[in-house]
Amino acid sequence: MKRYELIVIGAGPAGLSAAIEGAKAGMNVIVFDENARPGGQLFKQIHKFFGSKEHKAKIRGFRIGQMLLKEAEEAGVTVCLNATVLGIFPEKRVTVRYSDHIEQFSGDNIIVATGAAENMVLFDGWTKPGVIGAGAAQTMMNLHGIQPGQKILMVGSGNVGLVVSYQLLQAGCEVVALIDAAPRVGGYGVHAAKVARYGVPFLMRHTIVRAEGKDQVEGAVIAEVDAKFQPIPGTEKHLDIDTICLAVGLSPMSQVLRMSGCEIEDTPGGLVPKTNAYGETTIPGLFAAGDVAGIEEASSAMIGGRIAGLAAAHRAGYLEEETFKQQAQAARDSLTQLRQGMFAKENRGRTDLTKTEEGYALSKNLLAKGFVAEEELKAFPSANAVVSGVHPVIECTQNIPCNPCQDACKFGCIMVGRQITNIPQIDREKKCTGCGMCVASCSGQAIFLVNDDFEETRSTVTLAYEFLPYPEKGQTGIALNRSGEPVCEAEVISLRKSAATDGTALLTIAVPKEYSMKARAFKLNGGTD
Amino acid sequence: MDKLMNRSEDIGAFVPMPDDDMIVCRCEEITKGEIRRAVHDGFRSLTEIKRVLRNGMGLCQGQTCSRLVRSIVARELGVRPSDLPMTTSRAPARPVEMSVYAKEVK
Amino acid sequence: MAVTDKAQVVIVGSGIIGNAAAYYMAKRGASVIVLEGSEIIGNGGSSRNGGGVRQSARDPRELPLAMYAVEHMWPTLSEELDMDVEYFKKGNLRLGIGENHRAILQGLCDRCTAQGLDVRMLDGDDVRAINPYLSEEVTCASWCPTDGHANPLKATLAYYRAARRLGARFYTKEQAVELVMERGKLRYVRTACGDVFEGETILVAAGYSSRELLHTVGIDIPMNKALLECIVTEAEPPMFEQMLGAAMADFYGHQTPHGSFVFGGHTGMEPYFGTYANEDYSRSQAISAPTAARAILNFFPRLKNTKLVRTWGGSMDECADKVPVIDRCDEVDGLAIACGFTGHGFGIGPITGLLLSELVLDGKTSTLPIDAFRYNRFGSH
Repeated sequence: MKRYELIVIGAGPAGLSAAIEGAKAGMNVIVFDENARPGGQLFKQIHKFFGSKEHKAKIRGFRIGQMLLKEAEEAGVTVCLNATVLGIFPEKRVTVRYSDHIEQFSGDNIIVATGAAENMVLFDGWTKPGVIGAGAAQTMMNLHGIQPGQKILMVGSGNVGLVVSYQLLQAGCEVVALIDAAPRVGGYGVHAAKVARYGVPFLMRHTIVRAEGKDQVEGAVIAEVDAKFQPIPGTEKHLDIDTICLAVGLSPMSQVLRMSGCEIEDTPGGLVPKTNAYGETTIPGLFAAGDVAGIEEASSAMIGGRIAGLAAAHRAGYLEEETFKQQAQAARDSLTQLRQGMFAKENRGRTDLTKTEEGYALSKNLLAKGFVAEEELKAFPSANAVVSGVHPVIECTQNIPCNPCQDACKFGCIMVGRQITNIPQIDREKKCTGCGMCVASCSGQAIFLVNDDFEETRSTVTLAYEFLPYPEKGQTGIALNRSGEPVCEAEVISLRKSAATDGTALLTIAVPKEYSMKARAFKLNGGTD
Repeated sequence: MDKLMNRSEDIGAFVPMPDDDMIVCRCEEITKGEIRRAVHDGFRSLTEIKRVLRNGMGLCQGQTCSRLVRSIVARELGVRPSDLPMTTSRAPARPVEMSVYAKEVK
Repeated sequence: MAVTDKAQVVIVGSGIIGNAAAYYMAKRGASVIVLEGSEIIGNGGSSRNGGGVRQSARDPRELPLAMYAVEHMWPTLSEELDMDVEYFKKGNLRLGIGENHRAILQGLCDRCTAQGLDVRMLDGDDVRAINPYLSEEVTCASWCPTDGHANPLKATLAYYRAARRLGARFYTKEQAVELVMERGKLRYVRTACGDVFEGETILVAAGYSSRELLHTVGIDIPMNKALLECIVTEAEPPMFEQMLGAAMADFYGHQTPHGSFVFGGHTGMEPYFGTYANEDYSRSQAISAPTAARAILNFFPRLKNTKLVRTWGGSMDECADKVPVIDRCDEVDGLAIACGFTGHGFGIGPITGLLLSELVLDGKTSTLPIDAFRYNRFGSH
């Protein structure tokens, strides 16, 4: 039987990262993945990631996938595709299914990085064609170039629901509503704001009652829920939609771990293996990394994978205790950075937070409707830097782990500080040149440039624009406010694209002066959706 | 002693619900009503319910429905979902044709 | 002693033996408590076997039990328990390849025929006349037309439900760890969580774990724990209704009414892997499913594209002489024992339950004698 020092199951962000560390340390490593392509879910992530430079922030997910594959290749990692691991058996044996046969392998160390699967939710008609997972919708759009439907109802306001809603808009679909039974938007406020400003209504405390239609989804009935999440009779509402997209959470795909005999913990986030600080399960040499060890996001998964890879290399005698401890600690520090702020595990589900760590009043409107009300923005100094000429307006109102804006400004206008969950501050002493790099670098598209000195009656607003076709200079359209309502006429002053901004265009529009703090999105006349 | 241990502990009568005919396990076409009725028949572990009804025994091996079943059973029993251990996961992690499984390359 | 609950009879083990005994006892009006160590009723071998309801090739000591059950109990069991236990009385083909197997099968046939069972030898083509899907590999088989199969998961749980309806009280997560005597008589069962159950009679029917429990009153039943593994396929259109076995007892299985196949196959390693067998998770061996798949395709080439969806494993209480202990214990007043069924207890589960109800409630059995299953028969010949 072929024996490896390290077998990695799953070639997603966690698995590849683990394999890279193992191979770099000198282990002979093999990675098995059941898919035809490596990268796990990374290649359908067309949005820009959060975090800081070391977490590959402001880089689109699929680019990170490309970088990771290159790194794996350079490290000499063998990735076996179309190779399904059927089980982990005693003596750390794995059975692998290829197209027409199986093979057995044994591993001194095994790192399970099988990721997660989408949850479903029960409602009348949930089995009808037209009810799909948000991840499936993403695969259709971003890998296969197919619209999942025309008129979409998104269920779930976590980051997946928000990000996929935005991508549905980019794909030219109409998101008729985004609903969630919870009273508050679950994902990052900046992700919500991106969707809300293009007119998607957020209906919190709403649930789906049934999918209508004979052979496929032809409509949906939603209703308000009471405190116990039960529909309130009489509040039913019909929505004219053809697709229901479910983004109601993920569960670890822990089957192979569960059958291995390692100890499993039943957590609110699903069945996960009991692990030590390095991801090692109760079976020595069997590790778990990434979503299968507990649902987070790809950036954390990559670090978790690296830690497990280091630990396996240490266990196999390739890394001295001292080196291992140092490298693992550095990786853990990096992970800690990502796990701080309002969305940290310990803050999940908290309803008592009323202020940011800086003491600014949190936006209630953002949690209820997906956008920050103009009045609420007054509490945030960087959204109201009263300076003449062109200047950034930063509508970043939650403590989330992200700081590319700080690196983006070569002139030092923007500061986040050591803790990357801080809300960015604007240094009024430093001169903004209007280069727009901060606008393009903000993964949450929460930075705008405003110039109230543009003309006597008109101001300009520069915003990140990611819809096709790109508008051209001189064209006119409608400016939308934060909730997606048309507020005024707008003229395209410029559209800047560069390799550095990777598809995010910097769109500068001119609007009547009184709308410079209202206009936050743009729709070309004739409609882009 | 709780009703999960003492199978004679009363959990009340079965009350029909309007969505009882909703399919929960798609592979084996098991409805919510069948699952709720099984609980009132004395089957108070997810494994027993699976063994009498076949939910989670189809091609997907419960990947989709196991959490849904657990919440229905928990509600029926008036316990938390986490009080009910999930059914055992077993190889193969994906269905495999017999000819493929038989062909073992060494 | 603070007693959690008491009844006329306390049964340790909620497998088909314990549940059937509880049912027949409750049916006669006895008060019964059943204790199950796990959180799942029927979690041991009763839910982890091939479902054979077989008389052919039975040990001569067990055959009368099997024949009685097939004639008087299995055909009406679904009706009696008010749940379809999927019983099919469509015969058993015990398959052979070559002369060596023919000799073994002939020997088994002769032994059973002597006890009045209709079982005969068939040549390959006659075998295929009964089951046209079998490959040319098969050169002979024994054929017992009154054998069959049932669904062990449902039969075990059907007895549970029926017994519960009659008032038997079941407790799960109550792992019996000690039998406690009082004034020369067995009276109590102490469980791992500290609860105590009291009964006039304590019936130990807990598979292999009976051994450790019986040690607490100085009784040893010589048993080993052996692994048993099966595979389950996706559903196929109905193909055949017989139960299948093999001359070397290394292959068995049937198609369920659902359409899926349940097949068991042996790698020969089962007695050694059994040491680690654990009901909580599968200690399925990496080599088991491929071995089973090869055996199945050897007999049924047509199943090559059928998908295997699941494998499972369990442990057998393999008794020193391969037949069970079904007895009252002379030395320990108030103790009854039913264990060591060696992987073939399912088919005789109903009759064993009935006999145990007689043994416990009347002091002796009336339906059939059980002298062959004495607890103290070992090493005394």
